[in-house]
Amino acid sequence: MKLNRNNIKDNIMENKKMTMALFSGSIDKLTGAGVVLSGAAADDMDVDVYVLLMGARAFIKVNENKIDGLSEYPELKDEFLKSLETLNVSTWIEFFEMAKELTNVKIHICSLAGKMWGGEKMEDFIDLADDICGIGEYITSAQEADVHLFI
Amino acid sequence: MNTEELTALAVDKLVDARGTACPGPLLEAKKAIGTISSGQIMEVLSADEGTKRDIPKWANKKGHDYLGTVEESGYFKIYLKKG
Repeated sequence: MKLNRNNIKDNIMENKKMTMALFSGSIDKLTGAGVVLSGAAADDMDVDVYVLLMGARAFIKVNENKIDGLSEYPELKDEFLKSLETLNVSTWIEFFEMAKELTNVKIHICSLAGKMWGGEKMEDFIDLADDICGIGEYITSAQEADVHLFI
Repeated sequence: MNTEELTALAVDKLVDARGTACPGPLLEAKKAIGTISSGQIMEVLSADEGTKRDIPKWANKKGHDYLGTVEESGYFKIYLKKG
C-alpha cells in the first residue's frame, strides 16, 4: 500500500487528550463548554468530561427542559438567549452531540453529583452520559491530559 | 496563490457556513473534509472573523494545504486542499 500523508499522520501522531471538569450546570457555562468541546473535536482530541456537582443537574433526564439559569449576569438572561438565537449558535446539547459524533468524547457523571440531583443509575441520565465514575478517575485523567479545564 | 488563481480553482466541495458564528464554520469544515479525497479542493464560505484565522491553522495542523483566502463583501472564501 502506498503510504500517503494521512497514513503517516495516523501512524506517528497519537491524538492529544483533553480532560474537562464540568462543575457548572447553568446554560451560559454549558454553552461555553460546548464551544470548547467543538474546538477539541475539530482537532481530533480525545476528550473525557467529568461532570461534577452542579453540572450533573443538566444531565438528569427529568431536568431536560429545566436548564435555563445563568451563572453570570443572571439579569441579562433574555439578552443572552436572544443573542444565541440571532447568531444561530447551537444549544449546549447540540454542541455536545456534535463533538461526540466527530471525535472520541466520553462523558462521565460523578456518582456523588448524580445522587445529589436524584440520579443513581445510567437510565436516570440523558443519552449523552457514558458512565458513572468516582473522583479518582477524574484526577488520573487530569494527570494524563495535554489540556485540563475546569468549567 | 493569488485571488485570480484561487477563484479559478475547480472546487470539489463547497461549504457555505455563513449562517453560523464560531465554532460553526470550523465544525462544518471538519465534517466536510471527511467527505472528500486527498488532493481534492474544498472552499469554505464564512462571515466569522475568528474562523478566518482558525481554519488555516487547523488545516495546517491536520496535514491539509491552506491555499488562501478571498475577501468578499461581508464574508470570505477559504480554500483548502485535502492532505
